[in-house]
Amino acid sequence: MKALPVILAAIAVVLLVRLGVRLRGRGRSSRLGGFTSGVRGGRLLGDTGLVAGREIRERLRGRLFRVVTLILFAVVAAAVVIPTIHTGTTTHQNVGVVAGPPALDAELQKLATAVGLRVELVREPDLSAARASLSTGDLDMVVDGGGSILVQNPISDTDTSTGARYVRAVATALGAQQAFAQAGLTPEQAAAVAEVKPWPVESVHPGKTARTTEEATALLGVILTFIVLTQYLTWTLMGVMEEKASRVVEVLLATVRPGQLLAGKVAGIGAVALVQAVALVAFALVLAKVVGSTLVHGAAPIVVAATLVWLVLGYAFYSWVYAAAGSMAERQDQVQSLALPLSAPLIFGYIVSLIGVSSGSASLLVKVLAYLPPTAPFAMPTLVGFGEATWWQFLLSVVVSMVCTVLVARMAARVYRTAVLRTGRRVRLRELVPTLAK
Amino acid sequence: MAGLLEFDGLSRRFGTVTALDDLSFSVPSGQVVGFLGPNGAGKTTTMRAVFGLTDLDAGSVRWNGEPVGATQRRRFGYMPEERGLYPNMLVAEEVEYLARLHGMDTGSAATATKQWLERLDVADRATSKVETLSHGNQQRVQLAAALVHDPEVLVLDEPLAGLDPTGIDAIGEVLVEQARAGRCVLFSSHQLDLVEDLCESVAIIDRGRLVARGAVDELATSGARRLDVRVEGDRQGVWAQGIPGVAVSEVDGGEVRLVLDESTDSDVVLEAARAAGRVTEFVFGRRRLSEVFREAVGR
Repeated sequence: MKALPVILAAIAVVLLVRLGVRLRGRGRSSRLGGFTSGVRGGRLLGDTGLVAGREIRERLRGRLFRVVTLILFAVVAAAVVIPTIHTGTTTHQNVGVVAGPPALDAELQKLATAVGLRVELVREPDLSAARASLSTGDLDMVVDGGGSILVQNPISDTDTSTGARYVRAVATALGAQQAFAQAGLTPEQAAAVAEVKPWPVESVHPGKTARTTEEATALLGVILTFIVLTQYLTWTLMGVMEEKASRVVEVLLATVRPGQLLAGKVAGIGAVALVQAVALVAFALVLAKVVGSTLVHGAAPIVVAATLVWLVLGYAFYSWVYAAAGSMAERQDQVQSLALPLSAPLIFGYIVSLIGVSSGSASLLVKVLAYLPPTAPFAMPTLVGFGEATWWQFLLSVVVSMVCTVLVARMAARVYRTAVLRTGRRVRLRELVPTLAK
Repeated sequence: MAGLLEFDGLSRRFGTVTALDDLSFSVPSGQVVGFLGPNGAGKTTTMRAVFGLTDLDAGSVRWNGEPVGATQRRRFGYMPEERGLYPNMLVAEEVEYLARLHGMDTGSAATATKQWLERLDVADRATSKVETLSHGNQQRVQLAAALVHDPEVLVLDEPLAGLDPTGIDAIGEVLVEQARAGRCVLFSSHQLDLVEDLCESVAIIDRGRLVARGAVDELATSGARRLDVRVEGDRQGVWAQGIPGVAVSEVDGGEVRLVLDESTDSDVVLEAARAAGRVTEFVFGRRRLSEVFREAVGR
């Protein structure tokens, strides 16, 4: 049941995102915006560029965008920083020593090095003085040669901080040495016993006992991808629907071709999504470096890059579908009923990938989903996190996704062209069959 | 810049409904042409066909002899029946954006936007969101969006619908001004008599077919003569019943509108009226466009 917390967290994210979509729908009229004297964005990309420019400007101007971005940055910061607090970043401690032999100092230093801690040993005249220094915080722990260790606060068994691990190591090592001495072992014999190494244990079935850095990064990437995709695909859906509902699409299509209008909208919203995702990832990398997080060590940057690549590919694939669906509706309730079936493969890929990451190994299902464009944005970065995707497998999945995106975009453009000017009621899919069959 | 917008044999069916039935007429530049007809006559479908917003089963729309395509449409201005603006955009930004989509550069678009918003008396709302404007002002902004790129052809679908007399005058003034400047101006209305003073010529359609076309003055003065007569004590025009060669067309607030056959002498009518009571009004009237329509379709 290791996966249970992850599943619950995943469901919580899904619910939060859906709640956000509802609130977004209600709060549309409350957007703030300052007047700019000129419409920016040149004709570099023609009408498509102008449409994309308007989308970018309007999205960035929205208060909702700013709030969501701030929340995302806070979540990413928490995801990077909290694990480092839990594992402990203490690198230096003052250790008081009372009535211990000189060999004890060397032993304490050796144990400190073993757990990655730098200690300064302070000789204390007696136990009461050491206790006083411990109370005032001048010392972090006291080793009494008489056979005890004092610390400021109790240490739980689950505390994995460096300081806690050092206290446990000192307690175990000194206790063992005392036992060896009582057993009459010479220092050489005691040292030999202390060096004992457990036999290696091998399992018949492959598995992992601890999450690697790459898997942790993949986990964060999958969650980030889901949030960003859901947010921006909803914008695409709503944006197309609003253009149809306000009838502005008729004015636009009087001078712009449907394909240009659709491509401009998709590209504009996609550009905002990409910039936001890149900013989040850059922020996470810099923050991880500063706080000494292990999230970006080893092959984790490759997982980050894979996540970004699939974020782009995932948006490119889904955005056309969502835009086409938006052209079939002209009311909020109609959009809701369209959004649910559309988001099913998205949620499926997200949940399966999360379970895969949390279970410690990539299931056959994840391996299959990694080649299907609707689910690959989650499954393929997961495989990369497990180190189970070769470069050609990654590339194959990318090519499959791109080819499918082109096909989907063509069909979406046909649906959009037909449906966006049909007003009065929701356009049914069966009404579009002749269009799709052309 | 003389030009001619031609509608040639337009046909369009929606299921069992015939929206356009071999509709042909042309609109020369330099005059305001009213495109009139009752609701559902096919006006909107015709106008949408100019911009490729509806497929045609047959026929074509031409500008100066060339089929209308994307290049020509860039030089056209369009105001759809159901107004179309982004409700959340700022007024000036929206007009400027639409100007740029018609090919204007940033500077020219900004200048033209400012000029048109001032001309249509909504410059003080330039930095307001469109959705905060009144219906009339949104209509003005929509017109500014159709005019901002200095189009050669203006196609306006029901531009006067829902406006108060001031709004009608303001927009009507602009249409006339545009026609005087040599633009091709076609606007639709289902209120035939309301726009009579605004149009120089009209194309009247019913059930997708053209039923009348010509200059307003010619249509108004052609056909049978009309007499508007008011007789004290007979608000229903009973006195006029039974006069040979005379038909009662309308009775409105005591005024009786009569249609006279060619052979009927108006003196006969005057005598009949005087016999019924004191005659307070006896005027030859012009044929109204609604009468032109009714006589053309036989209803």
